[in-house]
Amino acid sequence: MARWGMVIDLEKCTGCQACTTACSMENSRLPGENWQDVLFYNEGEYPSGKLTWLPRPCMHCENASCVDVCPTKATYKDKDGFVLINWDLCIGCKYCMIACPYGVRFYAEEKQKTLPDVREVWPSKDGKVWDPPWAMPSHLNDPKHGVGIQPKNVVSKCTFCYHRVSKAPQGTPDLDPNDPKTRDFTPACVVTCAPTARYFGDLDNPKSYVRKLIAEKRGVRLQDHTGNRPQVYYLAGEAASIPETRSTRTKKV
Amino acid sequence: MNILALRTPDGRPLLDLQSKPDGLSALMMIGGAVVAGVSLSIVLFMLFTKGHSAYNTSSDFPWGAPIAFYMFFLLASSGLSIISSLDTVFGLKTFYPVAKRCIWLSIITLVAGFTLLALELGNPFRLLWAVPISAQFKSPMWWMGIFYSIDLALLCIKFYLLHTGEWDSKRTHLISVGSFVICIFASGTLGLAFGMMAMRPAWYSPAMPMYFILTGFMTAVAFTVLFTSLMRRVSGTPENVRKLFDDVLPRLFFITLLAVVVTRFGQIITGLWGNYEGMEAHWRSLTSVMFHIEIWIGFVIPLVLMGSRERRTNVSIQILSALLFMIGIFASRLHLLIMGQEVPLFKDYWAGYVEYTPSFTEWLLIPAGFGIVFMLYGAGNWLFNLADHRAPANAH
Repeated sequence: MARWGMVIDLEKCTGCQACTTACSMENSRLPGENWQDVLFYNEGEYPSGKLTWLPRPCMHCENASCVDVCPTKATYKDKDGFVLINWDLCIGCKYCMIACPYGVRFYAEEKQKTLPDVREVWPSKDGKVWDPPWAMPSHLNDPKHGVGIQPKNVVSKCTFCYHRVSKAPQGTPDLDPNDPKTRDFTPACVVTCAPTARYFGDLDNPKSYVRKLIAEKRGVRLQDHTGNRPQVYYLAGEAASIPETRSTRTKKV
Repeated sequence: MNILALRTPDGRPLLDLQSKPDGLSALMMIGGAVVAGVSLSIVLFMLFTKGHSAYNTSSDFPWGAPIAFYMFFLLASSGLSIISSLDTVFGLKTFYPVAKRCIWLSIITLVAGFTLLALELGNPFRLLWAVPISAQFKSPMWWMGIFYSIDLALLCIKFYLLHTGEWDSKRTHLISVGSFVICIFASGTLGLAFGMMAMRPAWYSPAMPMYFILTGFMTAVAFTVLFTSLMRRVSGTPENVRKLFDDVLPRLFFITLLAVVVTRFGQIITGLWGNYEGMEAHWRSLTSVMFHIEIWIGFVIPLVLMGSRERRTNVSIQILSALLFMIGIFASRLHLLIMGQEVPLFKDYWAGYVEYTPSFTEWLLIPAGFGIVFMLYGAGNWLFNLADHRAPANAH
């Protein structure tokens, strides 16, 4: 058993969004259905204001509130630490989307944000949301783990590339894209990250580099006060910061 | 078994198909059926052709107006069940005349609510087997499903017992107690479904279940005032129930509304005062049309109208106040739903709020829901003699 987790070094992240693109291609996401997203925002005020960004995959929380609220146990916590959706059980109530503090979940049955509606350009013949020519081979579709293109009327989310990571040899401490032995098991966003801002490994394995990074570079978790205990850690270092708030409130005078 | 041949112990037909419906009941039935039929046909057509894109919900704003509308009907149902229990559980004799009517209203508002819920879910039929077998005890929505299903079953049994004249039997009392407890649990759990969401601070409150039960009860009082007032105009009022209509119900309306206003004021002031991120939705409320409909039309005007004894006893004022409150609480449900979701999470937006206005298809669910209620109410009034009640002389 592992407890897979990710470390994102915000000092190294350039906000290039290659991770978002790689995820979309790997998992055949619709435009805007960004399982992995990079959010841009302003921080501070003139003259010290700056444009900054936050890469945001699913946090695969230890105490995932999305798992607890799901009335059919369609969303579940896997033995290796993945938070996954069994599409065969999802009733599309969207309660998990309400309960996730990070907004990482998607429901594809909605008005599309870009035109043309690609669901109509590449319609699916077997009840899926769409069927683009570059979709992953059908034998890799795994609805019980939320892998592949989802059927209509269910919720979808980042799987930490379950179809890759779950095939890693047992006891592997880290999935390093630069190591030929582990590259194929590494999540697409980690493989593609040009500035190598992403690290992926077993948080429970004492030998893992991710553990070392979290300990030595003071890894922090987003919105830790919610008690969800994400398995994605951010390294802010001296040059970066994690957002203090997602709030839209203006400062009280 | 020929259901038409069945008779109650006192010799009346179980389903009174021989009698002719009065004008108002017939109007309600036909009008309700037409309105519900047309609206549901359009909604279903839109859902089959466009899927849930027919709604204006999005991954940024997952729960749309149908949730608010079904919340309105489900909470009204629980409130109506409580009113019927005032007689059958707590022995408050004054409420005998409306007990049967309230149970029927409770059943049909539940049916309307379930219908709207089914139109909101992605896979409504999967719910029927996936929820019971999941045993997800941690999910308030799982408990809601269980409680509301039991609630509907008990309400139907209770209605059957009263309809067959069993007002005083031990089993009626037991079923009534069970039904009362379950309806409190059901509406309270609906409150928990929102109140437990710490990640949606504008909803997060341990008082939410109580607020839901209270406003559900208030909605039920308004429903009762409205429907009984309408029926009085047709069939007149027997002397022994005049006190209920002229004195008790209006006073209950006023007192309950006062409690709602105090609770709501507490919510608003807490929200405006709080610095906690996400609570700024309360400030934004002040610019929302729905908020002002809720507060002024739904709460303040009916409170003033029903504040004096002279006005309270006026049937037209009663109907007007009940109608205004219903409009207000309807807006309130939608407003609450929006408030919890408009502060964005870590998705798409960063600055600004998530905008949401229900689509035409979503608005159509209002006539669909009310059409179902009016149609079934007219049918119930015709077939089940809803004015039926135990004579006070026989009451214990």
